[in-house]
Amino acid sequence: MSFSIRSLTKRFDSLLVLDQLSFSFEPSSITAILGPSGCGKTTLLNIVAGMIPTDSGDIELSGQLSCSYCFQEPRLLDWLTAEDNVRYALSGLADRGRMEKRIERFLREAGLESFRAYYPSQLSGGMQKRLALARAFAYPAELLLLDEAFSAVDLRQKRELMNAFLNLWKEEKPTVFMVTHDIHDVLLLADKVVVLGPRPAKVRGIIDIPILQSQRRLADEQMSHIEQKLYELIDMPAS
Amino acid sequence: MPEFPDSRGRSLFWWRFGGTALFLLAWEVSAFLAGSRLVLPSPLDVLQVFARVSQTAKFWQAVAGSFLRVIEAFALSIVLGIAAGTAGGLKPHVDAFLSPLVTGMRATPVLALILLAMFWFPSSQVPVFSAILMAFPVMYTSAESGVRAADRKLVEMSRLFRVPRHIQLLRLHIPSAMPHLLSGAKNALGLCWKVVVAGEVLSQPAKALGTAMQESRLMLETTEVFAWAITTVLLCGLSEYAFGLLANARKRFFHAMPGAPAK
Repeated sequence: MSFSIRSLTKRFDSLLVLDQLSFSFEPSSITAILGPSGCGKTTLLNIVAGMIPTDSGDIELSGQLSCSYCFQEPRLLDWLTAEDNVRYALSGLADRGRMEKRIERFLREAGLESFRAYYPSQLSGGMQKRLALARAFAYPAELLLLDEAFSAVDLRQKRELMNAFLNLWKEEKPTVFMVTHDIHDVLLLADKVVVLGPRPAKVRGIIDIPILQSQRRLADEQMSHIEQKLYELIDMPAS
Repeated sequence: MPEFPDSRGRSLFWWRFGGTALFLLAWEVSAFLAGSRLVLPSPLDVLQVFARVSQTAKFWQAVAGSFLRVIEAFALSIVLGIAAGTAGGLKPHVDAFLSPLVTGMRATPVLALILLAMFWFPSSQVPVFSAILMAFPVMYTSAESGVRAADRKLVEMSRLFRVPRHIQLLRLHIPSAMPHLLSGAKNALGLCWKVVVAGEVLSQPAKALGTAMQESRLMLETTEVFAWAITTVLLCGLSEYAFGLLANARKRFFHAMPGAPAK
């Protein structure tokens, strides 16, 4: 069974943001939404999360999926420490032991183990972003939404976070819906890429990447070909 | 002299000291110019009378009586104001329903309220009732604006992660509202002292600062009136200081998630 989005339209007053979007994606896969800034990618993610209603169209997900979300901005509680911020998000879980193990694991994988007692105001912007990512990964969910999750962190941390993300995904197989404007993130992580045009966003093209993430090499001929097609869809010459 | 952590704190101490000294000097000069203790006693006269009065049982009974009335009025206005203000902040129709009442209470002159309360309540409860009606609107407004101050994005995040409502209330809404609540409670505490003592002056309950103040006025003991007034000011200042200490302790409660493993 696949999940699908059909004829999805969203306006904010007279401003048309999403115009008749339709595509489908597989459970336990990673779907990336690629598009220029301001085209409505975050709005689409918020609609999938159930945070804002649609004007028309349907989203078909199987039942009530539990959902985790790494927002574009960290959305941390300034008065709680790093680990308490993660603990706060997980406080609805009944199994306390499991909760503590996940907090431990994802703070470590986000490189924040020694900063667990720090408050958000004591962390850099990149560390706050990693903390928000650790929180999203630590929350056990069937649907994981990532909004520019790997931006605002340096290259080494980005690679480590992507590895942590792929490990989580292999173990728990959540359905991942990620929004980005970085083609390299897409090429390294996504099973399917939905390319949106500028606002009002319409689907410009959908590309499947039928190669296991662990076997992807950006310099390979097949990957280069996919990269080329993505650049064509976003109207940019490949560098 | 108290110790301050930095030179700015020390500098502020001297400014405060200078302000107090200037005020006492102006009072002393005015008393000298007035030339009569009946009109305006000097600070030294007041200090002597204060020292004498504070050694009597009547003084401590009056202090205890007024203090208990203030605590009663303050606690009730805090509980009622926070409960109603939280409901008003969360539900606009509750706010719309209560706002005429709150506006009316805020605009009512305190003396009119005390005089009316004297028809309805025993003399010991008149000051309490009047203080509640004066402090409630302050707490209501603080709680209502505090609840609305919670960051909408944090509320969205909490709902998405299905954070239980009681944890949202304790860890998100209360800490967000806390600056508003603390400032409102501090104002309400000062107001309670003023209104309770004013109510006591008119309703004359036993064991009360206001009653003692009124008796001194009838005996034309201006210096004693000053001494009782200064007692009220000192008690108000002390209770605000104690409240500040209590407010700092709140951090340990609201600023940590329960269930964290011991370090």
